[in-house]
Amino acid sequence: MNPRAWVTLAKGVVLESVRRKDLWVVAILGFLIMASAGALGFFGMSGLEAFAKDLAGTVLGGFGTIVAIIISTRLMPDEIRQRTLYPLIARPISRFDLLMGKYLGAVAVTTIAFLILTALVGVSLAMFKVGYEPVMLQYVLVRLMGLSIVCAVGIALSLVMTPNAASTMGFVLAFGSGLIVRALVMAYETSPGPMQPVFRVVNALVPQYGLFDLSGRAANQGWGPAPAWVVGTLILYAVGYSGAMLALGWAKFRRQAV
Amino acid sequence: MNRAVPFIAVGVIVGAGLCVNDSAGQLRREVNPPVRDTGLDAHETHAAATLLGQFRTSISSWLWLRTDLYLHNGVQMRPLSDAEVRAGVKGLGSHDNEDKKLHDDAKITTVVPASDRDFRGWMGDVERATQAFKDMRNHGHRDPKSALPLFRLMTWIDPQFIPGWTVGAHVLVSGNSPEGLERAVGLLQQGISHNPESVELYGELGHIQAVRWHRFGLALTSLERARQLSLRRPVPEDEDGHDAVRDTYRWLALVHRELGQLGGMYDAAREGAQRMPDDVILRRLANPPPSPLPIARQQAWLKALAETAPPPEH
Amino acid sequence: MNSPAIAVHDLVVHYRNRHGQPIEAVSELSFTVQAGEIVGFLGPNGAGKSSTLKALMGFVEPARGHAEVMGLPAGSIAARKRIGYLPEVAMYYPFLTPRETLRLYGELQGLRGRSLRQEADELLDMVGLGPAAGKQNRHLSKGMLQRVGIAQSLLGSPSVLILDEVTSGLDPVGRRELRDLLRARQRAGTTLFFSSHELAEVEMLCDRILLIDRGKLVEERQIDELKDELRQYAFTFSGQVSMVGLTDQLRSLPGGLTQAYFDDKESLLTGLERVHEASAMLVDVVAQEGSLEDYFVNAIGRAA
Repeated sequence: MNPRAWVTLAKGVVLESVRRKDLWVVAILGFLIMASAGALGFFGMSGLEAFAKDLAGTVLGGFGTIVAIIISTRLMPDEIRQRTLYPLIARPISRFDLLMGKYLGAVAVTTIAFLILTALVGVSLAMFKVGYEPVMLQYVLVRLMGLSIVCAVGIALSLVMTPNAASTMGFVLAFGSGLIVRALVMAYETSPGPMQPVFRVVNALVPQYGLFDLSGRAANQGWGPAPAWVVGTLILYAVGYSGAMLALGWAKFRRQAV
Repeated sequence: MNRAVPFIAVGVIVGAGLCVNDSAGQLRREVNPPVRDTGLDAHETHAAATLLGQFRTSISSWLWLRTDLYLHNGVQMRPLSDAEVRAGVKGLGSHDNEDKKLHDDAKITTVVPASDRDFRGWMGDVERATQAFKDMRNHGHRDPKSALPLFRLMTWIDPQFIPGWTVGAHVLVSGNSPEGLERAVGLLQQGISHNPESVELYGELGHIQAVRWHRFGLALTSLERARQLSLRRPVPEDEDGHDAVRDTYRWLALVHRELGQLGGMYDAAREGAQRMPDDVILRRLANPPPSPLPIARQQAWLKALAETAPPPEH
Repeated sequence: MNSPAIAVHDLVVHYRNRHGQPIEAVSELSFTVQAGEIVGFLGPNGAGKSSTLKALMGFVEPARGHAEVMGLPAGSIAARKRIGYLPEVAMYYPFLTPRETLRLYGELQGLRGRSLRQEADELLDMVGLGPAAGKQNRHLSKGMLQRVGIAQSLLGSPSVLILDEVTSGLDPVGRRELRDLLRARQRAGTTLFFSSHELAEVEMLCDRILLIDRGKLVEERQIDELKDELRQYAFTFSGQVSMVGLTDQLRSLPGGLTQAYFDDKESLLTGLERVHEASAMLVDVVAQEGSLEDYFVNAIGRAA
């Protein structure tokens, strides 16, 4: 393992992304959000604070996920397609180092994009004197952890399927995993006995992105931050699930002829 | 030039949004023509309104769901599934849900299950700690008035979103204050100006005028208008539309009765029972003669009628 | 005795076609390259050259056999630390500049800080990219990108250079400069192993050539030996002189002159003696270099 190589590769990913103006799209989105927030100003924000914060959480979560999927599912296929992979793997680094570097790069770009959006959304809320609470900061940190899982899943998928299929699967998992979990929970009690272990297995395999969404607590009154043990558990889950995804991707990539 | 392109794009989009918003208002006036037999609404009769209508309908529907969420202070609720009902699972109920205008809390439960009904172990515990979750058995609600700006927002985005007007009015009258009543009536009249053929809005107006304001003459006019509108098409099959027609006939019959117009009561009830034969109340009103009103009450109604000056017609 | 810089033993490389059937790209290939040699790797299209180079770099796993670079397993991190590689068709990150590209690869090579920055700038100057070092790669021509590739292959002063189609995209001046550069590297002790279709470049640069076709080694020759073998001698004379037993390649020229061709020096010298003994007039003596292309085509034809 060569952590320095990871950092070097990640810096390359960020620099390419910035120069390619990927983050301009994010900035334009942010300005659109501010313009929409201006329209809400017609009503005055009195009574709409919860709605505004809820909308902010939805927008941040949605666009952050979109950026994470698009960035992560494109990285490795682009390396192979553009043939920029050869000079890389000719270096004295392992394929695992390469994968980790690209993953960290995806996480870095996603984090930058998310923080830009957060700042712009925050300015919109501040313009209407919506108060800030510690739980909102916790929302940002925990959401970033969730996005790191999205990046890991995206990279793993991109190594086993075409980029378009990987993006599609990534979106299905990101926006559908919540529905799957809800359906499992709803159906478990009333399902036949032999099905219940299946439900447990499916629940264990599906990425639990919903756990990383604190927007309900952040938007509504009186909820406060989640306890420390919860954040610790989420960190462990994020590291574990991301690691498992990257390990699957590496298992495919390590012996792949290029 | 390349660097200015993103800013130009943003400006064009924002400008287009403002222009669309302005012209949409003009479109609304143009696309509310007299009734057609096809029963299509404004969203389906004009190309631009269709595109905008679908978007606006989606947004207003989404806002409606969020309103319910905010009234539960962020705790997500869901109706019990058929399987759960068959299995005998009980809803959570609430202590302040006498009026089921928004939802029937006896038939809902939390989206995130309580730990005794959750097979997920630590994942469930984490979700209960990260989401807005608490024990919602016999729960209360936030003051519905806190959601009024949202109702207003819904009706601004989509003036054809009827529940925005009716539930908003309902929330306004819930405090029983004279100001609330005036505002509720004004809100409904504004909704009627955007939806002049809405049975629900005329029906709700008549209901408030009768029950809250005791202005039975006005209520009669409103309910009669609702009845006439409902005759232009078959009884809707959706729950809201069906209930609106049913309530129109019920309140119309009762208002006739309050005014001592038994003939009108029978006519309304019979017509309603004919159109909705399953409704027990309308069948009861349509058939046996009601008990006579006490003399004192008759005199009180007549006095109220004589003293109340009807407000200006809308 | 030092181990060879590159050693390949019974190497077999398979690919799978779209039906999943294995195709043998390299078939029990064996050769060595000694330290400090410049060896050219030739073959027609699809012969297995790139597959061999990829196996040396660890891009593909051999089905059988093994290869070593500087005594280390081919494809291992330790081996790659000592190799500079130029891919056949490579692109470099389009939105980075040559300077940033070299710094990125240099950091992965284990270089750091000021020494890396200095080496990157020197290499860019050496390949003639000094003025373009700050332009994004997407704005560079194919030849300039090839120079970026050459520069990145030289990062860290590798012991072995493995170059696939090294002169592709370069103009004649660029090729001359590249030859000089590679010769200088060889003098400094670097081993060069490269594939090319440019036989003239191979002839000018290599000490030895390996000829491969359909995954198998066809010929292995020292360049000097080959040139000698291919070289033809001729002289022109007037008068009657018998060349029987020496050559039958005689051509009559206007003015009663005769041109005689000989395959080797000994026959030439014997022929010259006969001209002298016959007191015939010798007009000229020439040595003609043989065509490597003819040799290549004939060798492949024989292998088929």
